[in-house]
Amino acid sequence: MTNMTSDHPATVWVRKLVLPVLLIAVWQFWASSLPAGSPAPAPLKVLQTLVDLLRTGSLLSATVQSLGRVVLGFAMASVLGIALGLMMGASQAVRENLDPIIESFRPIAPMAILPIAILWLGTGTPTALAIVAYASFFPVLINTVHGVSRVDRKLVLAARTMGISRWTILTRVVLPGALPSILLGTRLAMGVAWTAIIAAELAVGAKSGGGGSGGIGQMMFVFYAYNIDLNAIVVCMAVVGVVALLIDQLFRLVEKRLIPWKA
Amino acid sequence: MTTSPGSPVMRTYRTLWVSLRSFAVFFALWWLLHWWNGNPLQLPSPFKVFEALGGLMREGEIAEHASVSTLRMLLALSLSIVVAVPLGFWMGLSRRAEEVIDPLVEMLRPISGIAWLPLALFIFGVGDTLPVFIMFYVGFFPILLNTVAGVRQTDARLLAAARTMGIGPWPLLVHVLVPSALPTVMVGIRLAFAASWAAIVAAELIGSPTGLGFAIEWYRQMLMTPKVFAFILAIGVVGYVCDLGLRSLQRRLTPWADGTGASS
Amino acid sequence: MNMSDNASYPKLRLSGVTKSFLAPRTGLSTLAVAEMSLDIQTGEFICIVGPSGCGKSTVLNMIAGLDVPTAGHIQKDGQAVTGPGADRGVMFQDYALMPWQTVEGNVGFGLRHGTPGQHLNTMQRNQRMAHFIDLVGLRGSEHKYPHQLSGGMRQRVALARLLANGPDILLLDEPLGALDAQTRLILQAELLRIWGETAPVTERKTAIFITHDIEEAVLLADRVVVMSTNPGRVREVVTIDLPRPRAGKARTHPRFGVLVEHIWSLIRDEAYRAIGGDESLANPTQETTA
Repeated sequence: MTNMTSDHPATVWVRKLVLPVLLIAVWQFWASSLPAGSPAPAPLKVLQTLVDLLRTGSLLSATVQSLGRVVLGFAMASVLGIALGLMMGASQAVRENLDPIIESFRPIAPMAILPIAILWLGTGTPTALAIVAYASFFPVLINTVHGVSRVDRKLVLAARTMGISRWTILTRVVLPGALPSILLGTRLAMGVAWTAIIAAELAVGAKSGGGGSGGIGQMMFVFYAYNIDLNAIVVCMAVVGVVALLIDQLFRLVEKRLIPWKA
Repeated sequence: MTTSPGSPVMRTYRTLWVSLRSFAVFFALWWLLHWWNGNPLQLPSPFKVFEALGGLMREGEIAEHASVSTLRMLLALSLSIVVAVPLGFWMGLSRRAEEVIDPLVEMLRPISGIAWLPLALFIFGVGDTLPVFIMFYVGFFPILLNTVAGVRQTDARLLAAARTMGIGPWPLLVHVLVPSALPTVMVGIRLAFAASWAAIVAAELIGSPTGLGFAIEWYRQMLMTPKVFAFILAIGVVGYVCDLGLRSLQRRLTPWADGTGASS
Repeated sequence: MNMSDNASYPKLRLSGVTKSFLAPRTGLSTLAVAEMSLDIQTGEFICIVGPSGCGKSTVLNMIAGLDVPTAGHIQKDGQAVTGPGADRGVMFQDYALMPWQTVEGNVGFGLRHGTPGQHLNTMQRNQRMAHFIDLVGLRGSEHKYPHQLSGGMRQRVALARLLANGPDILLLDEPLGALDAQTRLILQAELLRIWGETAPVTERKTAIFITHDIEEAVLLADRVVVMSTNPGRVREVVTIDLPRPRAGKARTHPRFGVLVEHIWSLIRDEAYRAIGGDESLANPTQETTA
């Protein structure tokens, strides 16, 4: 639509960096102009806090804890979601009967389930796992069903005429055919799971009075309500963002490896 | 029955019947679980939940909280649209604009709206602004990304055809580019709604004295579990109804496109 | 709108038109069209045929003003062509109908938003739209969307739109290519009728029609420009001396087959090469060593 004149790569880089750099500079300038004791976050202080938190190891351990919960919850949800999705995709009857229930739960956000999860499982890791699993489940399920529906029926029929068993068809024809959608679903689910864990830890941290459920979300809450440190909050936010990016990139890499045939 | 098995009327009846049947099974299982569990505080019987729901509706509490949440959501969604759509058009049309703005967008996007809660709480405090801000933030990105995509995937042939009819640059934008991008933008708006509706619960749970999210948490603390369930149900229903509304809007505004935003 | 004021100028003149494309990554340049020169008179129906990749569409795009020649120039009525305009209407291979407009909206698109309808009021515009919708035989379908129409119907909408804008040169890029053979036969006859085959020459529009179908070219054209590929250039311009009107009669004329074979003989070798085939099979009369 616009002219694709080849700009010098350096000019492109400048253009890409100008806005973030400018904003950070303005931010720092504004923060410096505030009185000395102000709690407002500033870029330089954020960096300092980052270094401190890394040195004490608390940032790393909190991240690992959150990630661990995410991975576990995601794994449980994916296994269930893919299995159920394959069944629903393969059988009209199963899909018909389960669809109303699933579609009814879909608009109910993971966080809405939180109070119930707390009632049942307390304020520790099981609750966090439950929220993550609930959040991851739907993207995986829906994309798996969609993936199965997109498998060319003729391939299945061709396999049947060759006398191949239903189980083998499922694993050798349907599964690979649905794989791109399934992997998309898992990538989306992982993203949602990461958001969910932060939210869950934040909320639980708020409700359990800062007690030990751990994780980045809880750490953020502590820095908000107890050891008030806005710079630390910003550090946590950046970590949340960076981890989200890394997860997404990792999943895309796996996708490329597993589906070399996709354009 | 004089209608044939494949007719639309029969199909609707069948879908209704299957749905009813599935829900009946679901509620039966629920009741069994409740009976086996024995603790009404943890898992109340479905009857109790419906009773609570009825009571809340009669007292107007559901309507009160639901309207608060819905209004906040509408405000946030409108703000997201007003900001993200023009920006998306600009970025879609100008490679320079995209180069300047995209890095900031890509840096902020992975930081979920929820992660902003503590900082936002500090800035806005508890109240109305907080949920609206969070929802605006969450809804902004899907709309922006989809608008850019919608502009980019405009068929160059359509633009060429319009130019051969002597159509100038501004009419080209208004009469070709905008309609062409509209289906994809609508999809973005629906995605934004789903994401913000999920975010509002978290935002209200932690940072608001009113709203459906607040209500769930409030009644949990009071251990009035049937009401908790009732409000969760309300969240689901309102979300579903709003999505229906958006889908209908989508059909009205873009009758030529299917639900995925594709035009053929 | 279709009168040539300057009798001394041809309607359209291509002089030494050359087009080369620069691949952005490799920096290699491909010569698509080389030194093409051609004069087209008012009211002529010209067909351009040639093997794939000979630059037919590129030439059309340049005449339409959607692309610029690397060298040489294109003149209409003695004036240089500088950009797209409603005076040179285009009918694209894939119709390029606005999916969000109905048949009526599409046909009237140029009238409402572009230059063709500027001096008309709403009533005149509507009359014009209705006239052309009727002309192509789509009355009753005004409120349908493109996705509800068959290929043949979409083609007719594109034609109605083209004509409603009142261009004096019609540029048609393989307009019938996506249709089935029977629909194609019907539309060929329609096209001749609408173009004005039975009307006097001065009332006909100038048309440039690109096609792969040699028989179609011989049926429709006054002259057939045969192009060769790599780079694209004019191989020969064949005058079709079949009498008009042609619809329904031309195919059985003795000269018809002769003309078709002649044109095919000019293209044959390159066509075989284009599909990666063995050129020696192109000339069946030659002996092949077993």
